[in-house]
Amino acid sequence: MIHNGDFQRPAGPLLSVTGLRVRFPTRPEECVRAVDRVDLAIACGEHVALIGESGCGKTVLGLAVMGLLPVNAKTRGEIRFRDCDLRAMDEPALQRIRGKEIAMVMQNSANSLNPVMKVGRQIAEPLRVHNILPATEAQDEAVRLLAAMGFADPAQAAERYPHEFSGGMRERILVAIALSARPDLVIADEPTSGLDAVVKAQILRLIKDQMAERTLLLITHDLGTAGYLCNRLVVMYAGEIVEEGPTDELLAMPRHPYTQGLLASLPSSGFHPIPGMSPSAADLPAGCRFFPRCCCVKEQCRQNHPPLIPIGHNRKVRCHRYD
Amino acid sequence: MIELTRVSKYYSTGFLRRTRTSAVEDLSLTIPRGTCLGLVGESGSGKSTAGRLMLRLTDPSAGSIVFDGIDLTRISKAALRKVRPRMQIVFQDPDTALDPRMTLGASVAEPLLVWNRAGRRDAGDRVLDLFEMVGLQPELVDRFPFELSGGQRQRAALARAIALEPDFLVLDEPTSALDLSVQAQILSLVQVLRARLGLTLLFISHDLQVVALMSDTVGVMQGGYLVECGKTREILDQPSHPYTARLVAAARESEAWFGKAPGS
Amino acid sequence: MNRRVVLWISIAVLCIYIGIALAAPLIAPSGPTAITGKPLEPPGAGHLFGTNDVGQDIFAQLVFGARITLLFGFFSASLSVLISTSVGIAIGYYGGIVDEVVSRAIDVFMPIPVFPLLIVLTTFFSPGIIQISILMGVLGSIHGIRIIRSQVLSVAQTYFVEGARAIGASDVHIMSRHILPNVMPLVMAKFVSSSQHLLVMGVGLSFIGIWDTTTVDWGTMIQNAYSSGGMALGLWWWILPPGIAVVGISLALAMIGYSFEEQFNPRVGVNRL
Repeated sequence: MIHNGDFQRPAGPLLSVTGLRVRFPTRPEECVRAVDRVDLAIACGEHVALIGESGCGKTVLGLAVMGLLPVNAKTRGEIRFRDCDLRAMDEPALQRIRGKEIAMVMQNSANSLNPVMKVGRQIAEPLRVHNILPATEAQDEAVRLLAAMGFADPAQAAERYPHEFSGGMRERILVAIALSARPDLVIADEPTSGLDAVVKAQILRLIKDQMAERTLLLITHDLGTAGYLCNRLVVMYAGEIVEEGPTDELLAMPRHPYTQGLLASLPSSGFHPIPGMSPSAADLPAGCRFFPRCCCVKEQCRQNHPPLIPIGHNRKVRCHRYD
Repeated sequence: MIELTRVSKYYSTGFLRRTRTSAVEDLSLTIPRGTCLGLVGESGSGKSTAGRLMLRLTDPSAGSIVFDGIDLTRISKAALRKVRPRMQIVFQDPDTALDPRMTLGASVAEPLLVWNRAGRRDAGDRVLDLFEMVGLQPELVDRFPFELSGGQRQRAALARAIALEPDFLVLDEPTSALDLSVQAQILSLVQVLRARLGLTLLFISHDLQVVALMSDTVGVMQGGYLVECGKTREILDQPSHPYTARLVAAARESEAWFGKAPGS
Repeated sequence: MNRRVVLWISIAVLCIYIGIALAAPLIAPSGPTAITGKPLEPPGAGHLFGTNDVGQDIFAQLVFGARITLLFGFFSASLSVLISTSVGIAIGYYGGIVDEVVSRAIDVFMPIPVFPLLIVLTTFFSPGIIQISILMGVLGSIHGIRIIRSQVLSVAQTYFVEGARAIGASDVHIMSRHILPNVMPLVMAKFVSSSQHLLVMGVGLSFIGIWDTTTVDWGTMIQNAYSSGGMALGLWWWILPPGIAVVGISLALAMIGYSFEEQFNPRVGVNRL
């Protein structure tokens, strides 16, 4: 799905993840399977959301794309960005891509900004690091971005330090930093966690405006945010994709019992919780991973691990009910 | 059950303590027995301070707080300690709500032991009963908080709060740090406990949707003032204060996102 | 990996020192002051480190001297940590005017160097070794109070302490059951580093002759060697052993202290992957 735009877009997916597996060996025999055989393709201009609860592997996936996983992570599979194999690149090559072509808006604005560096400099940093603009122009661009983010007095704001701003404003600064080098792909990890309802709505509107001509990979557990910002949703559970499809279709008619449970547990649907808890990533069950919590199990669900089954022309479900 | 009259809380800061910031200003509220009052507002609005004032975990600078006929602002420290078991609080951040060096069982048993409600041996049984009430597996008694998920820690915090069988429970943003699916679990648990134990609740949150579902009455706070207070239905349908109207609009907007086609 | 090896070596060294000090009568049965040989003999049969100018066995002196040096070093450190922990917890928890007064007092006393102060005090009062150890403990606790206080402040802000107050637990219960255990790692790290400082300081004081110069400990050994011309005459077996002993234990304690500090770094929250 490509948004209408005036300029040429390359054919083929912008980001293509194939068979990605990320494991963290914890003890000699144990290992945590954070991401298990995930395939994901994001076309230019798409806004895709990775939805799931904590521990489902969505953040690990985002970090894997950026090449920012901790040293003890064992990765297998392919990650291609514009047809370059990211996993085959060494660190200097990856550094040239980070910030400039793929940028990440991290969780938790309180910890993601350098407390002793002025905000303007932090926004200008990607431009300086990648030598896109000289110092003074970079600073001007930072001020321009701050204005675009809605700061009333951007020149003055650029001279302040992060602690002088509220949570919502820091989140805007994080978005500005991510956008400053004009990346093509933006990965946003829980951009509105910890923010009040009113501020959250403002930030989401801001992100939506700014992403109009870019590609977005949103990582969140909040269906509402995902529904607002993205046109395709990918639901993850226990390290694998369990459902995928266009937003409006998926929300109107969720197929996988987990997605259905998520929708039912929203405030607007009456808060019906999904019983039980997600399995620990070190100790995954043999059959369907959602089996213990599923309301409508079939005989084979206990033993057989369901494959990802295509339904229609752009939906997929991992459930035996659709075999 | 609990009644605040013209309560204010100021903090003095700055050189020689001359600057005064008010966290709560001239607040008057009543929570009848058996009901749930939801307190909404953005961060810094004073709602958390209001909750703590009701338990007298912080001292008010002015005004009176009456709990079941007892004026908390006038009683001695010892008498206040005696009242404490009847009013408890569950905090927002499950990561620090429990002592990281105590097992779950020890944390939940602590109130029982402090007040001698149970000897060391009986305490173990009581803890298992409480675990069952909040939906925690009995094996978790010997685990430490860092080994568990946020949802489990909040359940343990709830177990600890109800251990002394309080009449009044303050919930300070209990689900803000949790995922949506876990949030639903914790909130339905709170409703079950409320019915089972006949609790009076104060539910503090910045999320109007959540508050609306849990509470009979809603109070809206902004900048330390209570700007509006009334029955949930009335507040949602006809908000009279502009700030309330903005909150209601934001809540409706996020509900509407589900029916809306993105990109439009 | 490397760091762990260093840590284990340091712990082993410390245990060896303590073991030798405890087993002194067995290892050197003749005692530190007995004259067992001809004066100024180099290391050889019967005298592992040779003899000093009076004919006393240096090895025996080293081994018995360890007792005194180690004992008073650890004693002062324990006292120091005891004071700083109790004061630190009390003022950190209660806050208020007491906290202000004590903190300002600490601000005044902290820059005063302990060693010269001790010299001045002892010159006027000529106390014995025990009194000096107590004094060292008290003066050494000043720095610790501040460190522990700041940790107590952050622990006291947490929700679980507030929760304990909400339950109606008494202040003493909260301080002993909640604050102390959570401050313990820092206390232990401080104990180790205080031991190192105060032990070396003790050696320095005894080198100067602050306390009874007839007591045999490493400081007086070095002092004797120095003043009786050991350096000038090139009698390395007289000067080196106590010096190396001091350096050795100082390093061991420092390494242990560093790894405590590393371990202690608060892990920030739960990593949500």
